[in-house]
Formats: sequence, structure tokens, C-alpha cells
Amino acid sequence: MKKRPELKELFVERMSELLKDKNDLKKYLEILNIQPVNSIRCNKLKISPEKLLKRLKENYNWKINQPWKDYPEVMIVESNLMPGELGRATEHLLGYYYIQELSSMLPIIALKPQPHEKILDLCASPGSKTTQTASEMGNTGLIIANEKSLGRIKILASNLERCGVTNTIITLEDGIKLCKELHKEKIKFDKILVDAPCSGEGTLRSSLATYRMWSINTVKALSKIQRKLFSSAFEILENGGQIIYSTCTHAPEEDEEIVDYALKEFKEKIKIEQIKIPVVSRPGIQKWKEKEYSEEVKYACRIYPHDNNTEGFFLTKFTKIK
Amino acid sequence: MNQINILNKKETEELLTKLKNQFGIEKIPGIILQKGKERIFLFQGEISDKEIRKIESSVKIERIGIYIGKIFEPTDEIRLSIEGTQIFKEQIQRNVFILDKKEDYEKWMNGQELNIRTDLRGIIVIKYKNEFLGCGKASEEKIGNFIPKNRRLKLK
Repeated sequence: MKKRPELKELFVERMSELLKDKNDLKKYLEILNIQPVNSIRCNKLKISPEKLLKRLKENYNWKINQPWKDYPEVMIVESNLMPGELGRATEHLLGYYYIQELSSMLPIIALKPQPHEKILDLCASPGSKTTQTASEMGNTGLIIANEKSLGRIKILASNLERCGVTNTIITLEDGIKLCKELHKEKIKFDKILVDAPCSGEGTLRSSLATYRMWSINTVKALSKIQRKLFSSAFEILENGGQIIYSTCTHAPEEDEEIVDYALKEFKEKIKIEQIKIPVVSRPGIQKWKEKEYSEEVKYACRIYPHDNNTEGFFLTKFTKIK
Repeated sequence: MNQINILNKKETEELLTKLKNQFGIEKIPGIILQKGKERIFLFQGEISDKEIRKIESSVKIERIGIYIGKIFEPTDEIRLSIEGTQIFKEQIQRNVFILDKKEDYEKWMNGQELNIRTDLRGIIVIKYKNEFLGCGKASEEKIGNFIPKNRRLKLK
């Protein structure tokens, strides 16, 4: 395994403010040195979880655990695997499963897509959540999957193809511009996922690049973009519709600050929802540095890697009030 | 996106006739789109053509639905992709070749040409057990392989 770079001092200082208990911080820092589990999600558009499980056990003798009773499509391969082994299996090449980190499955579990709904995935690439959404909708309804980068859109299209997703239109736009244009055309959505571009603090277990790339300036710059992305998306949400805001970072500027902004900006038009997810989560924080957030921010979910042996994540669900 | 064309009723029927003649397919479960002269896409989203046009007028649309196959120009036959054969699997009735050896299945997924006599000619659907694996081109004693590079099995 490659040697991990040193964590930046300011990052550790910030994490120690979030995880005030020394033992808690220690557990967090320790788990960063351990690779996350090998998790996959059965693509129900092509095969049932029961059949996939049987095949994988028979063909590879993999020991597989289904950790979440209500979501049999979620599987952890507990056997020791060679690097890249999950991606090389025929079942992956044929689109029977998607390699997806456990915490990244949570936004769609919280969003609960239903058949025949109209759903926008604003920052869609590489397509893990778009394919999960289509799988829940049985390829009915409509998904608009947007991505602003031409390079990343190819990965998105390729994953949608492999998974047999037929109910989706892929758009290549800046997310804020896309929402403005759709607003002009009076196109609205029942549900929206804003899985915002973020500083990626939650991905330190699997991404060594994040150690080097992290900076407080990036956090602050992303916070401004995330705010605009959320407010643009909220404008094209149907009354009564639901929106998930999620990131894979722990930085409050990118998490609670956006939630607090949403609550203050849209006041009586917005309601934050309590979410039921199959992992341990901690409430959104109420105060960070000099800023105090609305009380309802506590309904946001902070997912720390050492609480569930996952990557780190943050998610919130809102309803647009009629 | 200008080059993506939503096929009208007549064009869709022409395509269906080809699918019927080649594979016995009777019904297309969605809207068919064509990119350039060759590439065919299937879309099952619940949105009208008019609304698609509305979106297209102000937003860059990269893709609608998924790639299901290609018109094989030399013979005007349709070459279905892996997903194309999976989507039509309940309807495909002819020009199907079933691999019976695991070794051939692995070679096929590895992108190799198979030296097998099929008694079929032209574009055929390849199957192994209940698995639909896209199309190949059968000639007298071999089957040409079209599995795209990013979907190929790496053999040990």
C-alpha cells in the first residue's frame, strides 16, 4: 500500500474542533489509515440481489455480507480481493453491479425515488447516484443527469450505458446555468439531488490526492458555489417536492453553512426533514468559528468514517412548502 | 446535440422492420434516436418530444437514453450492443448463437474472435446460458467480436 502523505496541520486542527473528545479524534485519525470496505450495489435494472448474490458466491467464492436489512442490493465483499478484482468480474462488465462506497448510497436512500417521478441529478458524474436512482424508478419517469465537465460526462454516459439506464437525458452544463435555463422554460422536478462538488475530506481513506489538494481556500471557494447551486436548484423544485443536499466533506462551511443559508434564504418556503438512514449519524453542528446556525440544522446528518466503517459524508433533506 | 435525431413514426417502423427481419423483434419499448447515420439510442423517459426540444433550445444535451446498437453500413444490418440484446432479450427469436463452453464465453468477453462454425451468416446475437452478450459477425468458420474495449474481460 502507498504511504499516506501527512495531514495538513490546519485540517487536523479543524477536525479536532469538530471531534472534541480526544478518543473520538484518535479513532477518526486511525481509520483514515485503513482502506474502506469493498462495497457494491446490485443493479436491480438487470438482476435481482438474490440472483447476483448466488452468482458471485458460485463464481468467485466471495464472502458477501448484506449489511442493511431493508436494502438487500447493498453488499460488502468481505473476502480479500486483488486490486481491481471487483471491476474485472464479468458481472461488473455486464452491468449487474456498481462499485459504490456505502456512504455514497445514502443520498438516494434518503431521497426515495419513486416510479414515474421527474428527478434532477445536478452534479451527476460518475453516475453512481444516477444509476441508483434509475434502479429505484425501474427506468420509468425521467432523470436529467447533469455534468459540467466534458471529460467526466464520458464516464457518466459509459456507466449509464453499462447499467442499462434508459430513462435519462444527460446534459453538459454548469449546474447554476442549467437551473436558470430550466427555470426560464418552466421545467420543474419532483425531486432534486445536489451532490455538490466539495473538498472531499470524507474521502481521505481512499483518495491520497485529497491529502495534497486540501486547502482552506478551496473550502471557502466551494462554499460559495455550493450556495448558488442549492438556491438555483431550489427554484426549479416543484411545490411539495424534495431536495437532498449532500457532500463528501466534513467542512462546516460546505455543509451546515449551506443548510443554514437555505433555511434563512427560503424561510417559510422550505422545511428541513429528519432522515431515516441505515447508518449511525451525528446531528448537524450549531456553531462553527464565529457563526451560529439555525436550530433546525441539527436535522442534517454528519457521517464520520469511524462511526460506521465508511467514508465520511454529509446530507440533508428539504421539502419545498406548497 | 444537433446530430441526434428523434426518429419519426415512419423511420421507427423502418428500423423495426430491420429488427424483425434480423432477430424477430416485434416491438420497440420506447423512443428511438439516431446519432449520425449509424448509432441508435433507446429512450424510455417520460417526457414529450416538445419538452425535449424546449430543453434543447437552451441547454447542451449530450445524450438521450442509451446506445443500443449500430447500423452496420456494408450490409445495412443492425448490430445490437450488449444492452441492446439485453433490452430485447424476451423478443429475440432468430440469428442467435448459444456458446456452450465456458472457455468460449470467456474468450468472447475478452474480445476475441471465435473460431466456431455457426451455420449462420452476418450479424448474430451471442448468448451464453441465459446471458445476452451483444452481437458478432458470423462468417463460414468464425464469429467476429464487437465487445468494446472497456467491457472486455481480462483473462489471467
